[in-house]
Amino acid sequence: MRIIDIENLSFHYRAGTPVLEDITLHVDKGEWITILGHNGSGKSTLSKLLVGLLRAKKGTIKVGGLELSENTVYDIRKKIGIVFQNPDNQFVGVTVRDDIAFGLENLQIPRDTMIERIEQYARKVDMADYLNKEPHNLSGGQKQRVAIAGILAMETDIIIFDEATSMLDPKGRNTILSMMKQLNDEGVTVINITHDMKESLYGDRIVVLKNGKIIKDDKTDAVLKDQEILEKSNLEMLLPLRVLRLLESENVKDEKVRSYLWQLSLTG
Amino acid sequence: MAIKFNRVDFKYKGEGKKGYLALSNISLSIQGEGEFITLIGETGSGKTTLVQHMNALLVADSGSVDIYGIKVEKEAVKKKKIRLNPIRKKVGLVFQFPEYQLFEETVLKDITFGPKNFGVPEKDAVETAKSVIKIVGLDESYLERSPFNLSGGEKKRVSIAGILAMEPDILILDEPTSGLDPLGRNALLKVFFDIHQKLNKTVIIITHDMNTVYEYAKRVLVMRDSYLVYDGDPVNLFTSKNIENWNLDVPDVLDLTNKLERDLGISLKTRPRSASDLTKALEEVLR
Repeated sequence: MRIIDIENLSFHYRAGTPVLEDITLHVDKGEWITILGHNGSGKSTLSKLLVGLLRAKKGTIKVGGLELSENTVYDIRKKIGIVFQNPDNQFVGVTVRDDIAFGLENLQIPRDTMIERIEQYARKVDMADYLNKEPHNLSGGQKQRVAIAGILAMETDIIIFDEATSMLDPKGRNTILSMMKQLNDEGVTVINITHDMKESLYGDRIVVLKNGKIIKDDKTDAVLKDQEILEKSNLEMLLPLRVLRLLESENVKDEKVRSYLWQLSLTG
Repeated sequence: MAIKFNRVDFKYKGEGKKGYLALSNISLSIQGEGEFITLIGETGSGKTTLVQHMNALLVADSGSVDIYGIKVEKEAVKKKKIRLNPIRKKVGLVFQFPEYQLFEETVLKDITFGPKNFGVPEKDAVETAKSVIKIVGLDESYLERSPFNLSGGEKKRVSIAGILAMEPDILILDEPTSGLDPLGRNALLKVFFDIHQKLNKTVIIITHDMNTVYEYAKRVLVMRDSYLVYDGDPVNLFTSKNIENWNLDVPDVLDLTNKLERDLGISLKTRPRSASDLTKALEEVLR
């Protein structure tokens, strides 16, 4: 079932310098889409358009069949949430509890339901013990988990992770990734914007952006082995494939090593 | 020794980080040339606090930091007995989001701002700007551009050029590649390595990327809960059990080497630290 329909979407900050050009993209419910692209390729602009933080110059966005417009933006935000790159830039509350409550207050959810949901989703992201703590004393991974709880509390169907792990230490990154995996298994649609090729292994499909255009939209394994497409967008292949290509270029042929590296490159 | 920490403690005071112990009993030495050091550890372990002691932005509560023969101590700094300018000139620190600190109308003005502040004549400062902009991989045409119209990676390069223009012996970078795409990251790492190799400067990089550590570092410092728990070479670090206790990841090259040795019974003659070295090592045993 379709959950996002983007048709012929274009955006610019200044006329004549397009940031996104004629983007058409469809996402099914429960999918995990990875969006890859170089710095400045338009990835983050796309995510801001999706949650109505920016307005498209051309084209349409439908979320769950509802077309995004000035009138529907608050309804759309009940369906789609976003976790940003810098964990320090997304806190508004004095305590973790206030912070998770913030989105719910905007939705005018009754107080009893609100308290219930805050507890429920804090437990879900394993932050229930921190509800009365100040957000800025948490680690990066913990902050991102609180941000996720805030979105889950609104019971959205879709979460965009906009380079949400890029500033975290290895432990923080691994906790967020396994949380994303768990949510996706439970049916949440995940859109993960990243530069980390290893993260893309979690997803079903990869969309590659270059200079504001989609240059590839295909199954994860098909994109990961497409050296030309990846290099065009300042990305690199996963290590086993890179080593395999290097061996081939040196004319080293060993079937056992070749098939082993091949298999590794698709499973991580 | 250019920088010497002697049993340094540091606690953050005031609201928010009340009573937060950031450095505990740190002793270490850093040479003024030829070192390539990576500093790693979990968020909040004290990495940024540690490097801010290296150019006297922060001053130890107890113990002392010697920077180029100047003993930086709390009392002396309070009584303004120490001139900090010579220290800042010798030890250049690039903050985590240097791009937020660009403020002049042209790249040239941004790069020459520091040197001119230190009394370098305009003409010399411009010459230096022309040379450092190339070191960071941009060309002279950038000097006339506005820093605000540059991409994230370009802004980072300009801010690094601004620090290099002060001609420090030691260059410290706080998470310089986070958020960059792989090509941008690799290119910037090459810039740092060139600065280290061609100019023989000491470079210190804070990072969460274990691949950077394994491929480039000659020496690794690991911070954990305000303590310096490791000071040594990367190979020993990643082959010890501590990587699990310290929540570090295994670098990709080491992980793949281990898998090849374990699953295919291949035994390599060297311990490769980059994709190309791993390929060469495989070539050697497969031919």
